[in-house]
Amino acid sequence: MFNTLQLPSGHITHRGARFVNRFLTPSLFWLAVIALVLGSGAARAESGVPNAVPPVGTHKGDDVPQPIEFPHNTHADVNQINCMYCHTYARRSKVAGIPPTSKCMGCHSVIATDKPRIKKLTEYWENKEPPPWRKVHDVPDYVHFTHEKHLKRFVFDNEGMQVENVAEVCAFCHGEVKKMTVAHKVKPLNMGFCRRCHEANEGPFDCWKCHK
Amino acid sequence: MSNKVNRRDFLKIMGWGGVGATLAGCDMPTTVTLEEGKEEVTSYMIPEEYVIPGVGVYYASTCQQCPAGCGLHGRVREGRVLKLEGNPESPINRGRLCQMGQAGVQAHYNPDRITRPMMRKGSGLTTVSWDEALTHIQSKMEGVSGDRFAWFTDTVSGHQAVLMDAYREAVGSSRHYVHEIINNSVSRQVNQDMLGDPQPRLRFDKARVVLSFGADFLGTWQSPVHNAVEYAAFREAPRGVLVQVEPKMTLTGANADLWVAVRPGTEGVFALAVANALSAKNPAMLDGLPDKAKQLVRRYDIKKASRITGAAGEHIVKTAGWLAERSPSLVVAGASAEGHGHGYDTVAAIMLLNVILGNIGETIEASGAFPFPQLVARTGGTRDVMDFAKALDNKELDAVFFRGANPVFTAPESLGLRDKLGKVGLKVAFSQFEDETTRLADVVLPMYSAMEDWGTHVAAYQAGQAVIGIQQPLMQPLYEQTRGFGDVMLSLLKMRKVPGYDGYADYYAYLRDAFSALPDSLKNGASNDEFWASALQRGVLEVATGGGSLTAKVVDFDLPENPASEGAYTLVPSARLGLWDGRHANIPWLQEAPDQISKVVWDSWAEMHPRTARKLGVKTGDAIKITSANGSIEANVYVYKGIHPDAIAVPMGQGHETYGRFAKGRGVNPVKILALNTDGKTGELAHHSTQVQVSKTRVRDSMVIFGGSETQLGRKIVATVTADVYERTEGEA
Ligand code: SF4
Repeated sequence: MFNTLQLPSGHITHRGARFVNRFLTPSLFWLAVIALVLGSGAARAESGVPNAVPPVGTHKGDDVPQPIEFPHNTHADVNQINCMYCHTYARRSKVAGIPPTSKCMGCHSVIATDKPRIKKLTEYWENKEPPPWRKVHDVPDYVHFTHEKHLKRFVFDNEGMQVENVAEVCAFCHGEVKKMTVAHKVKPLNMGFCRRCHEANEGPFDCWKCHK
Repeated sequence: MSNKVNRRDFLKIMGWGGVGATLAGCDMPTTVTLEEGKEEVTSYMIPEEYVIPGVGVYYASTCQQCPAGCGLHGRVREGRVLKLEGNPESPINRGRLCQMGQAGVQAHYNPDRITRPMMRKGSGLTTVSWDEALTHIQSKMEGVSGDRFAWFTDTVSGHQAVLMDAYREAVGSSRHYVHEIINNSVSRQVNQDMLGDPQPRLRFDKARVVLSFGADFLGTWQSPVHNAVEYAAFREAPRGVLVQVEPKMTLTGANADLWVAVRPGTEGVFALAVANALSAKNPAMLDGLPDKAKQLVRRYDIKKASRITGAAGEHIVKTAGWLAERSPSLVVAGASAEGHGHGYDTVAAIMLLNVILGNIGETIEASGAFPFPQLVARTGGTRDVMDFAKALDNKELDAVFFRGANPVFTAPESLGLRDKLGKVGLKVAFSQFEDETTRLADVVLPMYSAMEDWGTHVAAYQAGQAVIGIQQPLMQPLYEQTRGFGDVMLSLLKMRKVPGYDGYADYYAYLRDAFSALPDSLKNGASNDEFWASALQRGVLEVATGGGSLTAKVVDFDLPENPASEGAYTLVPSARLGLWDGRHANIPWLQEAPDQISKVVWDSWAEMHPRTARKLGVKTGDAIKITSANGSIEANVYVYKGIHPDAIAVPMGQGHETYGRFAKGRGVNPVKILALNTDGKTGELAHHSTQVQVSKTRVRDSMVIFGGSETQLGRKIVATVTADVYERTEGEA
């Protein structure tokens, strides 16, 4: 999809490359802008998200072992379940929300009950303990990020956008989670990343919009 | 169009370039602060229907950070209280909340909370079970009866006070000591004697001139948030004039149109001189006053008063002029006027101005009788702590229950409470923190925080519409082994087999029942459940107070010809909205909020006039030793013009020996070295009359002061130019 937009910056990660990151990024930024201008026609045509310029930047996240190796791919890709079916608060709140265990059990009290991962889940359910999931995506406390407003802009108030394609909007910041099992952080989610996207999509630009 | 880039455009361009350059640094990886997989994110097992994670739910409650009783709204997210705001439904604070109120969350989440019951075994306190602690109290209390038992508390009201009374009466005791070092006890007595109402309603909003003698009504006096709301109305057009007369500038003083420094103890002379100046223009003003009062007014002409008070004569004239021109006015007295051997007389002289200016019934209104006398606030000052010390001396007490008050910290050291408390067989502390008094207790009962407990509160100062403030838990208790005050009281009552309490499973059940028992007139036809639900939702319950009226009787009072203190310097133990009497010293937000006058953070300081500093050869930052007959303290000097040269002010609040990691070992406590002088008529501590000597000890110590300059250097807060000037210099707009 927007692989066309992948730039050399993709190889630069924060680890051991701070110098490069610090000094090359501004020029990479301009490269990105040029690439965007050249590639925007193609990107728009292929993307399921109209009226949007996806943000640019990658990050090579750590492997985060989870209590249950949750397969996002089985759910979102193979079975085509909408992200917001489980992350139900995304459209209504600043946080997307980890699905309540009762939601998992809604299906898994009958589906795939013999699989080891489901057995483990059932065990948590019966012990009345939610699985201790580990946080993969976060922004610092001084950043006010809200899922609600972003979904409004790119999905619900976005003319021509199909809600079924919401995963492509999620992917702006979370990467192609539907190709992953447990989530990996693949986008930098730092201020430059936010700022470039706000610039390209004419999002608000006042300091206090995010730092309040 | 010209191609010239003028200076303004150049700056604009540079400005944007600058932003670009700054923002380039924002590609720093956020992993500097965040790492993946280090934190857990817990989901609900089954979601609550009305809870959306990330979206706050607001609950109403009542602020417990000072006795003013403001209503608050707590924002609760995912079961945790995050932010407090004022409750607009409360007539006390009308939607506002002061910094101490805001910082209530840090009292609640404070890492130094006591989390388990403790008992003294040998020399130290040992963790015990609730059963053991309560059984111990009950068995000890079996041998105690009559006045050998006492409560020692800060201001208490509502149903908690009802349960405290029930327990006290079951023991047969009449003793309940209430101690507040920040109080208005002397004024309450004068009000009672002159107006027939200890706490009349004051209308700052109606006054056109306010003359305040050390009443820091925007900071620490009676009901600061309520006063601030009324003050805003007072300052609206036509703008009211504020005159503040005091030895050390308070927050209110800093807002005054005319701030007058007077020699400590001479506030009454200033007041009488104003009366003198008023009567010079209009002799009829003094008609109807007792002869003695007339003589006192005549005694202080401007020249004499100016000599005694140290205030410029023209300031007395100006004040009298404003008062004569603008009516109605309001004259109030605060700590620095009350805290002398002749405190009562000083306040009476000040109140005399209200009488001759006709303010009584205008800006001073009757508060009316509160319909539920059992719920009204038990207030107090410093007299009770001295009576308490006397009772200890005479070995009159076998058991004392402490709640809220910390007298070992907020009473002068020479009262010797620390040792005298050893004479009491059973000292029980209902406490959230290990403060100086709790540390000496025999049994320590860990209490819920104000955000976890139930309660009802009736503020001593009722602002117009009288209310009962409802306190409800904003979240589940943080610690399993803490309990609610009402719950513990019910347990103790049941253990003592006091009839009438067996039916209540907990304090919540008791309150539900108490609300059902309220008269139908309050319920507006609602069922008991609806009535309770709406009380919780609104956070306040309005009650009608009976009319009541005020008298304008001038009491018999006298002042020494020259009431100024004799010694070289008078110690002013100043109070501030922030650390208050020291109860908030364990709250980091309040420690780091700069003092409103000196801008010092996390520390104590000694304020002195530049002239005094020159005489002593010290500068801001030098350390001095302040010695009274009862001990000495050391603090860094802060040189400032907002103080009388004869006064040295040290703020209250710091100097804790214990009280958690944020408070312990920080600064000094001026209350410690106060002399045990008392006001002749009320017996209250004359806390502004201690004479001290000052000597320099060290040069320049470290002291953190926010703000580099004391004045605006003649600059406006917002620069403005007139349209004329603009057109002349910038051309047509
Ligand atoms: S004045 Fe007192 S009751 Fe009101 S908000 Fe401040 S601390 Fe709370």
